Amino acid sequence: MIAISGVSKHFDEVQALAEVNLDIATGEFISIVGPSGCGKSTLLRIVADLVSTSGTVTKPNKGAFVFQDSALLPWLTVQNNVELLMKLEGLPNIKEKTCIALEQVGLTGFEKNYPHQLSGGMKMRLSLARSLILDPEYILLDEPLSAVDELTREVLQEELHEMWNRDKFTAVLVTHNIAEAVYLSNRVIVMSPRPGKITHIIDVPFKKRTPELRTTSKFSKLVNDISGKLRTWR
Amino acid sequence: MEIKKLLPPAIILLLFLGSWHIGALIYNMAFILPTPLVVAQTFVADFDIIMTGLVLTFEAAFTGYIIAVVMGIAVATVMSLSNILEKSLYPYAILLQTVPVVAVAPLIVLWFGFEMKSIIIISIIISLFPIINNTLLGLKSTSKTLVELFEYHKTSKLQTFFKLRFPAAIPNIIAGMKISAGLSVIGAIVGEFIIGSGSEEGGLGVQIIYAQADLETALVMALILTATSLGFIFFITIQTLGWYLMHKWHESEMKRK
Repeated sequence: MIAISGVSKHFDEVQALAEVNLDIATGEFISIVGPSGCGKSTLLRIVADLVSTSGTVTKPNKGAFVFQDSALLPWLTVQNNVELLMKLEGLPNIKEKTCIALEQVGLTGFEKNYPHQLSGGMKMRLSLARSLILDPEYILLDEPLSAVDELTREVLQEELHEMWNRDKFTAVLVTHNIAEAVYLSNRVIVMSPRPGKITHIIDVPFKKRTPELRTTSKFSKLVNDISGKLRTWR
Repeated sequence: MEIKKLLPPAIILLLFLGSWHIGALIYNMAFILPTPLVVAQTFVADFDIIMTGLVLTFEAAFTGYIIAVVMGIAVATVMSLSNILEKSLYPYAILLQTVPVVAVAPLIVLWFGFEMKSIIIISIIISLFPIINNTLLGLKSTSKTLVELFEYHKTSKLQTFFKLRFPAAIPNIIAGMKISAGLSVIGAIVGEFIIGSGSEEGGLGVQIIYAQADLETALVMALILTATSLGFIFFITIQTLGWYLMHKWHESEMKRK
Protein backbone atom coordinates (compact mmCIF):
# COMPACT_ATOMS: atom_id res chain seq x y z
CA MET A 1 0.00 0.00 0.00
CA ILE A 2 1.03 3.58 -0.67
CA ALA A 3 -0.02 6.08 1.97
CA ILE A 4 0.17 9.80 1.29
CA SER A 5 -0.63 11.96 4.29
CA GLY A 6 -0.46 15.68 4.85
CA VAL A 7 1.57 16.28 1.72
CA SER A 8 2.05 19.98 0.96
CA LYS A 9 4.55 21.72 -1.25
CA HIS A 10 5.70 25.31 -1.63
CA PHE A 11 7.97 26.49 -4.42
CA ASP A 12 9.23 29.79 -2.98
CA GLU A 13 6.05 31.85 -2.51
CA VAL A 14 3.81 29.64 -4.66
CA GLN A 15 1.86 26.87 -2.98
CA ALA A 16 1.80 23.92 -5.38
CA LEU A 17 0.10 21.33 -3.17
CA ALA A 18 -2.11 21.76 -0.14
CA GLU A 19 -2.59 18.97 2.38
CA VAL A 20 -3.00 15.96 0.10
CA ASN A 21 -4.11 12.71 1.77
CA LEU A 22 -4.55 9.51 -0.19
CA ASP A 23 -4.32 5.80 0.47
CA ILE A 24 -3.67 3.51 -2.46
CA ALA A 25 -4.35 -0.18 -1.89
CA THR A 26 -1.85 -2.84 -2.90
CA GLY A 27 -2.48 -3.89 -6.49
CA GLU A 28 -4.73 -0.93 -7.15
CA PHE A 29 -4.48 1.16 -10.32
CA ILE A 30 -5.24 4.83 -9.74
CA SER A 31 -5.04 7.81 -12.06
CA ILE A 32 -4.59 11.44 -11.16
CA VAL A 33 -6.19 13.99 -13.47
CA GLY A 34 -6.39 17.75 -13.19
CA PRO A 35 -5.75 20.99 -15.03
CA SER A 36 -2.20 21.89 -16.08
CA GLY A 37 -0.16 23.14 -13.17
CA CYS A 38 -2.33 21.51 -10.50
CA GLY A 39 0.74 19.80 -9.06
CA LYS A 40 -0.11 16.24 -10.09
CA SER A 41 3.38 15.68 -11.49
CA THR A 42 4.84 17.20 -8.35
CA LEU A 43 2.73 14.86 -6.22
CA LEU A 44 4.05 11.88 -8.19
CA ARG A 45 7.61 13.13 -7.68
CA ILE A 46 7.00 13.51 -3.96
CA VAL A 47 5.85 9.88 -3.83
CA ALA A 48 9.01 8.98 -5.78
CA ASP A 49 11.14 10.90 -3.27
CA LEU A 50 12.45 13.15 -6.05
CA VAL A 51 10.86 16.22 -4.45
CA SER A 52 10.83 16.98 -0.74
CA THR A 53 7.67 17.55 1.27
CA SER A 54 6.49 18.48 4.74
CA GLY A 55 4.11 15.50 4.76
CA THR A 56 4.82 11.80 4.82
CA VAL A 57 4.70 9.08 2.21
CA THR A 58 5.00 5.38 2.96
CA LYS A 59 5.42 2.94 0.13
CA PRO A 60 6.83 -0.50 -0.67
CA ASN A 61 10.58 -0.86 -1.25
CA LYS A 62 10.70 -1.94 -4.84
CA GLY A 63 9.36 0.55 -7.32
CA ALA A 64 9.80 1.99 -10.78
CA PHE A 65 9.22 5.39 -12.36
CA VAL A 66 8.14 5.69 -15.98
CA PHE A 67 8.80 9.11 -17.51
CA GLN A 68 6.90 11.11 -20.09
CA ASP A 69 9.55 10.95 -22.80
CA SER A 70 10.54 7.31 -22.15
CA ALA A 71 13.93 8.44 -20.75
CA LEU A 72 16.16 6.05 -22.70
CA LEU A 73 19.92 6.53 -22.91
CA PRO A 74 20.56 7.33 -26.59
CA TRP A 75 24.09 5.84 -26.62
CA LEU A 76 22.94 2.46 -25.33
CA THR A 77 21.42 -0.31 -27.44
CA VAL A 78 17.92 -1.61 -26.75
CA GLN A 79 19.49 -4.54 -24.87
CA ASN A 80 21.67 -2.28 -22.70
CA ASN A 81 18.80 0.10 -22.02
CA VAL A 82 16.66 -2.72 -20.67
CA GLU A 83 19.56 -3.96 -18.55
CA LEU A 84 20.41 -0.48 -17.24
CA LEU A 85 18.17 -0.30 -14.18
CA MET A 86 18.94 -3.88 -13.16
CA LYS A 87 22.63 -3.04 -13.29
CA LEU A 88 22.13 0.15 -11.29
CA GLU A 89 20.21 -1.81 -8.67
CA GLY A 90 22.70 -4.68 -8.78
CA LEU A 91 20.09 -7.36 -9.46
CA PRO A 92 20.86 -10.95 -10.60
CA ASN A 93 19.88 -12.93 -13.75
CA ILE A 94 20.12 -9.92 -16.00
CA LYS A 95 20.55 -11.70 -19.36
CA GLU A 96 17.73 -14.16 -18.80
CA LYS A 97 15.23 -11.58 -17.59
CA THR A 98 16.11 -9.13 -20.37
CA CYS A 99 15.33 -11.77 -22.94
CA ILE A 100 11.90 -12.43 -21.42
CA ALA A 101 11.14 -8.74 -20.93
CA LEU A 102 11.94 -7.91 -24.55
CA GLU A 103 9.75 -10.73 -25.77
CA GLN A 104 6.85 -9.55 -23.61
CA VAL A 105 6.86 -6.13 -25.29
CA GLY A 106 7.51 -7.47 -28.79
CA LEU A 107 11.03 -6.08 -29.12
CA THR A 108 12.85 -9.36 -29.69
CA GLY A 109 15.15 -8.89 -32.68
CA PHE A 110 15.76 -5.21 -31.87
CA GLU A 111 18.41 -5.89 -29.18
CA LYS A 112 21.22 -4.28 -31.16
CA ASN A 113 19.22 -1.26 -32.33
CA TYR A 114 19.52 2.19 -30.79
CA PRO A 115 16.58 4.20 -29.40
CA HIS A 116 16.58 6.67 -32.32
CA GLN A 117 15.78 3.75 -34.63
CA LEU A 118 12.55 2.97 -32.74
CA SER A 119 9.08 4.49 -33.11
CA GLY A 120 7.51 6.41 -30.22
CA GLY A 121 5.40 3.41 -29.27
CA MET A 122 8.38 1.05 -29.27
CA LYS A 123 10.37 3.47 -27.12
CA MET A 124 7.60 3.50 -24.54
CA ARG A 125 7.34 -0.32 -24.61
CA LEU A 126 11.08 -0.41 -24.01
CA SER A 127 10.72 2.02 -21.11
CA LEU A 128 7.94 -0.14 -19.61
CA ALA A 129 9.97 -3.33 -20.11
CA ARG A 130 12.93 -1.73 -18.37
CA SER A 131 10.72 -1.00 -15.34
CA LEU A 132 8.79 -4.29 -15.25
CA ILE A 133 12.01 -6.29 -15.30
CA LEU A 134 12.69 -5.00 -11.78
CA ASP A 135 9.60 -6.87 -10.48
CA PRO A 136 8.36 -3.66 -8.87
CA GLU A 137 5.70 -3.64 -6.19
CA TYR A 138 4.52 -0.27 -7.47
CA ILE A 139 4.98 1.79 -10.64
CA LEU A 140 4.65 5.55 -10.94
CA LEU A 141 3.76 6.74 -14.44
CA ASP A 142 4.13 10.39 -15.42
CA GLU A 143 2.05 10.94 -18.57
CA PRO A 144 3.82 8.03 -20.24
CA LEU A 145 1.65 7.95 -23.37
CA SER A 146 1.42 11.66 -24.15
CA ALA A 147 4.08 11.54 -26.88
CA VAL A 148 2.50 8.87 -29.09
CA ASP A 149 -0.27 9.12 -31.66
CA GLU A 150 -3.90 8.41 -30.75
CA LEU A 151 -4.02 4.91 -32.29
CA THR A 152 -0.79 3.72 -30.70
CA ARG A 153 -1.95 5.28 -27.47
CA GLU A 154 -5.02 3.04 -27.23
CA VAL A 155 -2.97 -0.05 -28.09
CA LEU A 156 -0.43 0.85 -25.41
CA GLN A 157 -3.22 1.41 -22.88
CA GLU A 158 -4.40 -2.13 -23.55
CA GLU A 159 -0.87 -3.46 -23.20
CA LEU A 160 -0.34 -1.54 -19.99
CA HIS A 161 -3.59 -2.96 -18.65
CA GLU A 162 -2.42 -6.49 -19.48
CA MET A 163 0.91 -5.89 -17.77
CA TRP A 164 -0.90 -4.71 -14.66
CA ASN A 165 -3.27 -7.69 -14.78
CA ARG A 166 -0.36 -10.09 -15.14
CA ASP A 167 2.18 -8.62 -12.71
CA LYS A 168 -0.20 -7.23 -10.06
CA PHE A 169 1.77 -4.11 -9.22
CA THR A 170 0.27 -1.00 -7.67
CA ALA A 171 0.09 1.76 -10.27
CA VAL A 172 -0.19 5.53 -9.99
CA LEU A 173 -0.75 7.22 -13.35
CA VAL A 174 -0.68 10.95 -13.98
CA THR A 175 -2.48 11.82 -17.22
CA HIS A 176 -4.30 14.55 -19.11
CA ASN A 177 -6.41 12.01 -20.94
CA ILE A 178 -9.58 11.22 -19.02
CA ALA A 179 -10.61 8.27 -21.20
CA GLU A 180 -7.18 6.77 -20.53
CA ALA A 181 -7.61 7.28 -16.78
CA VAL A 182 -11.06 5.65 -16.83
CA TYR A 183 -9.97 2.75 -19.04
CA LEU A 184 -7.02 1.82 -16.83
CA SER A 185 -7.99 2.68 -13.29
CA ASN A 186 -9.88 1.39 -10.29
CA ARG A 187 -10.17 4.95 -9.08
CA VAL A 188 -9.71 8.34 -10.71
CA ILE A 189 -8.45 11.19 -8.53
CA VAL A 190 -9.45 14.70 -9.62
CA MET A 191 -7.29 17.58 -8.48
CA SER A 192 -8.01 21.34 -8.39
CA PRO A 193 -5.75 24.06 -9.79
CA ARG A 194 -2.99 25.59 -7.69
CA PRO A 195 -2.78 25.04 -4.82
CA GLY A 196 -3.48 21.44 -5.85
CA LYS A 197 -5.76 19.40 -3.66
CA ILE A 198 -7.96 16.37 -4.18
CA THR A 199 -11.53 17.42 -4.97
CA HIS A 200 -13.12 14.17 -6.18
CA ILE A 201 -12.34 10.48 -5.96
CA ILE A 202 -14.31 8.53 -8.53
CA ASP A 203 -14.68 4.75 -8.44
CA VAL A 204 -14.57 3.11 -11.84
CA PRO A 205 -17.06 0.22 -11.74
CA PHE A 206 -16.13 -1.66 -14.95
CA LYS A 207 -15.01 -5.23 -14.44
CA LYS A 208 -13.56 -6.08 -17.84
CA ARG A 209 -11.27 -3.68 -19.66
CA THR A 210 -11.48 -4.57 -23.33
CA PRO A 211 -11.35 -2.25 -26.38
CA GLU A 212 -15.14 -2.69 -26.70
CA LEU A 213 -15.58 -0.93 -23.35
CA ARG A 214 -14.60 2.36 -24.96
CA THR A 215 -17.64 2.25 -27.24
CA THR A 216 -20.21 1.68 -24.48
CA SER A 217 -22.43 4.51 -23.26
CA LYS A 218 -21.55 3.83 -19.59
CA PHE A 219 -17.90 4.45 -20.43
CA SER A 220 -18.50 7.72 -22.26
CA LYS A 221 -20.89 8.89 -19.57
CA LEU A 222 -18.25 8.43 -16.87
CA VAL A 223 -15.62 10.16 -19.02
CA ASN A 224 -18.03 13.08 -19.58
CA ASP A 225 -18.84 13.29 -15.86
CA ILE A 226 -15.19 13.63 -14.98
CA SER A 227 -14.60 16.10 -17.81
CA GLY A 228 -17.49 18.13 -16.41
CA LYS A 229 -15.86 18.23 -12.99
CA LEU A 230 -12.62 19.44 -14.57
CA ARG A 231 -14.39 22.02 -16.71
CA THR A 232 -15.58 23.92 -13.64
CA TRP A 233 -12.00 25.12 -13.12
CA ARG A 234 -11.65 26.68 -16.55
CA MET B 1 30.61 8.78 -54.57
CA GLU B 2 34.06 9.49 -53.06
CA ILE B 3 35.20 11.27 -56.23
CA LYS B 4 32.08 13.41 -56.22
CA LYS B 5 32.85 14.48 -52.66
CA LEU B 6 36.51 15.27 -53.38
CA LEU B 7 35.95 17.13 -56.63
CA PRO B 8 34.68 20.53 -55.35
CA PRO B 9 37.58 21.14 -52.89
CA ALA B 10 40.04 19.81 -55.51
CA ILE B 11 38.82 22.39 -58.02
CA ILE B 12 39.27 25.17 -55.45
CA LEU B 13 42.80 23.93 -54.75
CA LEU B 14 43.71 23.91 -58.45
CA LEU B 15 42.27 27.40 -58.94
CA PHE B 16 44.24 28.63 -55.93
CA LEU B 17 47.54 27.05 -57.06
CA GLY B 18 46.99 28.26 -60.60
CA SER B 19 46.40 31.90 -59.67
CA TRP B 20 49.30 31.78 -57.20
CA HIS B 21 51.58 30.42 -59.90
CA ILE B 22 50.52 33.01 -62.47
CA GLY B 23 50.69 35.80 -59.87
CA ALA B 24 54.20 34.77 -58.82
CA LEU B 25 55.35 34.66 -62.44
CA ILE B 26 53.99 38.15 -63.09
CA TYR B 27 55.41 39.55 -59.84
CA ASN B 28 58.68 37.81 -60.62
CA MET B 29 60.48 38.17 -57.26
CA ALA B 30 61.10 34.64 -56.03
CA PHE B 31 62.49 35.69 -52.64
CA ILE B 32 59.20 37.42 -51.84
CA LEU B 33 56.70 35.19 -53.65
CA PRO B 34 58.05 31.91 -55.02
CA THR B 35 55.83 29.82 -57.31
CA PRO B 36 54.12 26.76 -55.83
CA LEU B 37 56.46 24.65 -57.96
CA VAL B 38 59.54 26.15 -56.26
CA VAL B 39 57.94 25.54 -52.83
CA ALA B 40 57.37 21.91 -53.81
CA GLN B 41 60.98 21.59 -54.95
CA THR B 42 62.19 23.12 -51.69
CA PHE B 43 60.04 20.66 -49.81
CA VAL B 44 61.91 17.80 -51.48
CA ALA B 45 65.36 19.44 -51.27
CA ASP B 46 65.06 20.42 -47.58
CA PHE B 47 63.08 17.35 -46.60
CA ASP B 48 65.52 16.52 -43.76
CA ILE B 49 65.26 19.95 -42.12
CA ILE B 50 61.49 19.93 -42.43
CA MET B 51 61.16 16.44 -40.99
CA THR B 52 63.43 17.21 -38.03
CA GLY B 53 61.30 20.27 -37.35
CA LEU B 54 58.09 18.35 -37.78
CA VAL B 55 59.09 15.65 -35.30
CA LEU B 56 60.02 18.22 -32.64
CA THR B 57 56.88 20.29 -33.16
CA PHE B 58 54.73 17.18 -33.19
CA GLU B 59 56.28 16.05 -29.91
CA ALA B 60 55.60 19.40 -28.22
CA ALA B 61 52.13 19.91 -29.67
CA PHE B 62 51.02 16.33 -29.04
CA THR B 63 52.27 16.31 -25.44
CA GLY B 64 50.66 19.70 -24.82
CA TYR B 65 47.42 18.56 -26.41
CA ILE B 66 47.14 15.36 -24.40
CA ILE B 67 47.89 17.20 -21.15
CA ALA B 68 45.35 19.90 -22.07
CA VAL B 69 42.66 17.29 -22.81
CA VAL B 70 43.25 15.41 -19.55
CA MET B 71 43.52 18.60 -17.47
CA GLY B 72 40.58 20.23 -19.24
CA ILE B 73 38.26 17.28 -18.64
CA ALA B 74 39.46 16.98 -15.04
CA VAL B 75 38.96 20.68 -14.27
CA ALA B 76 35.54 20.70 -15.95
CA THR B 77 34.53 17.60 -13.98
CA VAL B 78 35.53 19.24 -10.69
CA MET B 79 33.60 22.38 -11.68
CA SER B 80 30.52 20.38 -12.63
CA LEU B 81 30.45 18.62 -9.27
CA SER B 82 30.41 21.75 -7.16
CA ASN B 83 28.72 25.09 -7.75
CA ILE B 84 31.16 26.92 -5.50
CA LEU B 85 34.19 25.50 -7.28
CA GLU B 86 32.69 26.38 -10.65
CA LYS B 87 32.02 29.95 -9.57
CA SER B 88 35.50 30.34 -8.11
CA LEU B 89 37.41 28.71 -10.97
CA TYR B 90 35.53 29.69 -14.11
CA PRO B 91 36.66 33.36 -14.26
CA TYR B 92 40.28 32.17 -14.28
CA ALA B 93 39.52 29.68 -17.02
CA ILE B 94 38.26 32.62 -19.07
CA LEU B 95 41.49 34.53 -18.36
CA LEU B 96 43.33 31.54 -19.78
CA GLN B 97 41.49 32.22 -23.00
CA THR B 98 41.83 36.02 -23.02
CA VAL B 99 45.50 36.23 -22.07
CA PRO B 100 47.54 37.16 -25.17
CA VAL B 101 49.59 34.00 -25.43
CA VAL B 102 52.19 35.61 -27.70
CA ALA B 103 52.90 38.19 -25.01
CA VAL B 104 53.04 35.70 -22.16
CA ALA B 105 55.26 33.28 -24.04
CA PRO B 106 58.54 35.17 -23.33
CA LEU B 107 57.68 35.06 -19.63
CA ILE B 108 57.11 31.31 -19.79
CA VAL B 109 60.46 30.86 -21.51
CA LEU B 110 62.09 33.03 -18.84
CA TRP B 111 60.65 30.83 -16.12
CA PHE B 112 61.00 27.40 -17.65
CA GLY B 113 64.02 27.86 -19.89
CA PHE B 114 64.78 27.51 -23.58
CA GLU B 115 63.46 23.99 -23.60
CA MET B 116 60.64 21.91 -24.99
CA LYS B 117 59.03 22.17 -21.54
CA SER B 118 58.24 25.84 -22.22
CA ILE B 119 56.83 25.07 -25.65
CA ILE B 120 54.57 22.39 -24.18
CA ILE B 121 53.32 24.77 -21.49
CA ILE B 122 52.45 27.45 -24.07
CA SER B 123 50.64 24.82 -26.13
CA ILE B 124 48.67 23.75 -23.04
CA ILE B 125 47.67 27.32 -22.17
CA ILE B 126 46.23 27.93 -25.61
CA SER B 127 44.45 24.54 -25.89
CA LEU B 128 42.96 24.28 -22.42
CA PHE B 129 39.98 26.63 -22.42
CA PRO B 130 37.93 25.13 -25.29
CA ILE B 131 38.19 21.73 -23.60
CA ILE B 132 37.15 23.05 -20.18
CA ASN B 133 34.32 25.14 -21.59
CA ASN B 134 32.81 22.47 -23.84
CA THR B 135 33.20 19.65 -21.35
CA LEU B 136 31.57 21.76 -18.64
CA LEU B 137 28.69 22.62 -20.96
CA GLY B 138 28.22 18.92 -21.75
CA LEU B 139 28.42 17.78 -18.14
CA LYS B 140 25.91 20.40 -17.05
CA SER B 141 23.32 19.81 -19.76
CA THR B 142 22.45 16.21 -18.97
CA SER B 143 18.74 15.62 -19.63
CA LYS B 144 16.79 16.41 -16.45
CA THR B 145 14.60 13.34 -16.90
CA LEU B 146 17.61 11.03 -17.10
CA VAL B 147 19.07 12.62 -13.97
CA GLU B 148 15.73 12.01 -12.21
CA LEU B 149 15.75 8.38 -13.40
CA PHE B 150 19.15 7.83 -11.83
CA GLU B 151 18.17 9.77 -8.72
CA TYR B 152 15.03 7.68 -8.32
CA HIS B 153 17.13 4.52 -8.30
CA LYS B 154 19.44 6.04 -5.66
CA THR B 155 22.50 5.82 -7.89
CA SER B 156 25.73 7.12 -6.36
CA LYS B 157 27.23 10.37 -7.63
CA LEU B 158 30.19 8.47 -9.04
CA GLN B 159 28.04 5.95 -10.91
CA THR B 160 25.78 8.72 -12.22
CA PHE B 161 28.89 10.47 -13.51
CA PHE B 162 30.34 7.50 -15.36
CA LYS B 163 27.09 5.97 -16.61
CA LEU B 164 25.21 9.15 -17.41
CA ARG B 165 26.85 12.57 -17.25
CA PHE B 166 30.13 11.68 -18.91
CA PRO B 167 28.78 9.66 -21.86
CA ALA B 168 26.11 12.33 -22.40
CA ALA B 169 28.87 14.96 -22.58
CA ILE B 170 30.95 13.13 -25.20
CA PRO B 171 29.61 15.16 -28.16
CA ASN B 172 30.62 18.39 -26.37
CA ILE B 173 33.99 17.00 -25.30
CA ILE B 174 34.76 16.01 -28.88
CA ALA B 175 33.69 19.48 -30.07
CA GLY B 176 36.13 21.09 -27.63
CA MET B 177 38.87 18.66 -28.60
CA LYS B 178 38.39 19.55 -32.27
CA ILE B 179 38.88 23.26 -31.58
CA SER B 180 41.96 22.59 -29.46
CA ALA B 181 43.52 20.22 -32.00
CA GLY B 182 44.61 23.06 -34.27
CA LEU B 183 45.31 25.41 -31.35
CA SER B 184 47.84 23.03 -29.79
CA VAL B 185 49.99 23.20 -32.94
CA ILE B 186 49.64 27.00 -33.03
CA GLY B 187 50.73 27.11 -29.38
CA ALA B 188 53.79 24.98 -30.12
CA ILE B 189 54.80 27.21 -33.06
CA VAL B 190 54.37 30.36 -30.93
CA GLY B 191 56.57 28.78 -28.26
CA GLU B 192 59.20 27.88 -30.85
CA PHE B 193 59.16 31.43 -32.21
CA ILE B 194 60.14 32.79 -28.81
CA ILE B 195 62.72 30.10 -28.19
CA GLY B 196 63.95 30.33 -31.79
CA SER B 197 67.05 32.44 -31.31
CA GLY B 198 68.16 30.47 -28.29
CA SER B 199 68.46 26.97 -29.72
CA GLU B 200 70.48 25.32 -32.46
CA GLU B 201 68.08 22.66 -33.60
CA GLY B 202 64.40 23.28 -33.30
CA GLY B 203 60.85 22.61 -34.39
CA LEU B 204 59.01 24.11 -37.35
CA GLY B 205 58.66 27.50 -35.64
CA VAL B 206 62.41 27.74 -35.06
CA GLN B 207 63.11 26.72 -38.65
CA ILE B 208 60.68 29.36 -39.92
CA ILE B 209 62.57 32.09 -38.02
CA TYR B 210 65.90 30.91 -39.49
CA ALA B 211 64.58 30.54 -43.02
CA GLN B 212 62.99 33.99 -42.88
CA ALA B 213 66.25 35.54 -41.68
CA ASP B 214 67.99 33.93 -44.65
CA LEU B 215 65.27 35.18 -47.01
CA GLU B 216 64.50 31.57 -47.97
CA THR B 217 60.86 32.34 -48.59
CA ALA B 218 60.13 29.05 -50.33
CA LEU B 219 61.36 27.17 -47.25
CA VAL B 220 59.28 29.39 -44.96
CA MET B 221 56.22 28.48 -47.02
CA ALA B 222 57.06 24.80 -47.05
CA LEU B 223 57.42 24.88 -43.25
CA ILE B 224 54.13 26.75 -42.84
CA LEU B 225 52.39 24.16 -45.01
CA THR B 226 53.89 21.39 -42.90
CA ALA B 227 52.71 23.01 -39.65
CA THR B 228 49.25 23.53 -41.14
CA SER B 229 49.07 19.90 -42.21
CA LEU B 230 50.10 18.80 -38.71
CA GLY B 231 47.16 20.69 -37.17
CA PHE B 232 44.91 19.29 -39.87
CA ILE B 233 45.97 15.72 -39.07
CA PHE B 234 45.29 16.35 -35.36
CA PHE B 235 41.84 17.57 -36.30
CA ILE B 236 41.06 14.65 -38.61
CA THR B 237 42.17 12.19 -35.92
CA ILE B 238 39.73 13.69 -33.41
CA GLN B 239 37.04 13.87 -36.09
CA THR B 240 37.49 10.14 -36.68
CA LEU B 241 37.46 9.41 -32.96
CA GLY B 242 34.21 11.37 -32.70
CA TRP B 243 32.69 9.43 -35.56
CA TYR B 244 33.74 6.15 -33.98
CA LEU B 245 32.19 7.07 -30.63
CA MET B 246 28.98 8.64 -31.90
CA HIS B 247 27.93 7.47 -35.36
CA LYS B 248 25.50 4.94 -33.94
CA TRP B 249 23.54 7.31 -31.73
CA HIS B 250 24.31 11.02 -32.08
CA GLU B 251 22.60 13.25 -34.64
CA SER B 252 25.83 14.99 -35.64
CA GLU B 253 27.50 11.78 -36.83
CA MET B 254 24.57 9.82 -38.23
CA LYS B 255 24.28 9.33 -41.97
CA ARG B 256 21.79 11.63 -43.61
CA LYS B 257 19.37 9.91 -45.87
